[in-house]
Amino acid sequence: MPTCTDIAKATKKKREIKLVGIDMYIITEEGIPKFDEIGAFKCEFISNRGTKVWPGFVSPDLLQVNWYRCRFMATQTVQDADVNTFLDALTKKGWWWSAAQKLWNYDGEPGFSKAY
Amino acid sequence: MGTQHVVTMLPGEGTGPEICEAVRLVIDASGVDIKWEYEEIGLDCLDKHGTLLPDKTVQAIARNKIALKGPTTTPVGTGHKSANVTLRKVFDLYANVRPAKLIPVLKRPWDKIDILNFRENTEDCYAAIEHMVSDEVAQCLKVITWPGSYRIAEFAFKWAKANGRKKIYCVHKANIMKMTDGLFLDAFREVAKKYPDIESGDIIVDNCCMQLVRNPAQFDCLVLPNLYGDILTDLCAGLVGGLGFAPGANVGDTCAIFEAVHGSAPKYAGLKKVNPSAVLVSGIMMLRWMKEEAAADRITKAMFAVLDERKHVTYDVGGTATTDEYAQAIVDKMHEKA
Repeated sequence: MPTCTDIAKATKKKREIKLVGIDMYIITEEGIPKFDEIGAFKCEFISNRGTKVWPGFVSPDLLQVNWYRCRFMATQTVQDADVNTFLDALTKKGWWWSAAQKLWNYDGEPGFSKAY
Repeated sequence: MGTQHVVTMLPGEGTGPEICEAVRLVIDASGVDIKWEYEEIGLDCLDKHGTLLPDKTVQAIARNKIALKGPTTTPVGTGHKSANVTLRKVFDLYANVRPAKLIPVLKRPWDKIDILNFRENTEDCYAAIEHMVSDEVAQCLKVITWPGSYRIAEFAFKWAKANGRKKIYCVHKANIMKMTDGLFLDAFREVAKKYPDIESGDIIVDNCCMQLVRNPAQFDCLVLPNLYGDILTDLCAGLVGGLGFAPGANVGDTCAIFEAVHGSAPKYAGLKKVNPSAVLVSGIMMLRWMKEEAAADRITKAMFAVLDERKHVTYDVGGTATTDEYAQAIVDKMHEKA
């Protein structure tokens, strides 16, 4: 008789996964980062504590900390190797980052949240 | 004649517009001089303006620095971002102030509840950082920062001191989430040192829930991270009579938005049967924020009297009155008293 765990595992559905971008978590004391296009990736938005701070208006009163989530979207079809190249280029430009999160579409649907 | 205040009115959607009209009727009859500026927010304006929060609304709130808001709808799961959360982000309304005080005429099992909740409103799991990190694993980042934690604690102690409150407890789960909730607790303790006249302490969130339902009278003020605050403030509202009587305010350094915390109840829209009390008590809270204590007291007494008589109350508290009839009864009662 299958256990509840077995039943749960059996429900897994195969989904098509496509790499479409990277969320980079950058630490800086210099305010909102500015980026040129880096390799196959272009910065789409930057948020701080979950609030979008670039592009567009940001209130001067908004509390910001030294940790920015910078969303880079692919400008062309990309592979994991392109992420390695991107990370290397970003580091060489002097950006200090705490983490990188690959962004994938699952069956064409984004597997990542937008920013407020 | 007192000062004229300009307040942005955000009727919201569903039953929001009819509730806000009833509340305006009562507030206008209280003797306070308010010029209301109506602006749109929520799903209803998405079709018209392509956004839940039009620029015109943002500008009006920024200009007037104070708003009274009706309920809006937040889609579950997929769909659009919450208008409420967007408002908090845009104006950095970091303090969600949720009083839970017994209304004498609503029969409850307790003699005394007077809890002031201060919920951090901008961080935690509400930072909108979520990823499907594999096809069977989702993660949400819980973001707690030192300045974000410090300022909500500072806000709470300042409010408590200004309002004669005696005791503040920090609610957390730092025994398990040692980094995130630990940081929140550390900031609270640092702020508490500056306020030696106010008793401070901390309590683990699950124990706090149990203590709240066993003996709510022991609590005075609570400071909570966003997620625990979201849950416990509704728990506290349930203790004193439900969301139908629960006021709320979202406050930042530059503006304050007062709102009911219940939903927009779209199935009742246009029927004029819902109880407007939650927006009304939020309006009373707004009047106190504006230093219009006399008007706030007048409405409070009249509302309690109408509830006590039970002749003109809405269906949820055992009556048959419409939203408008209940509001008019409060207005009539204020005139009687005068």
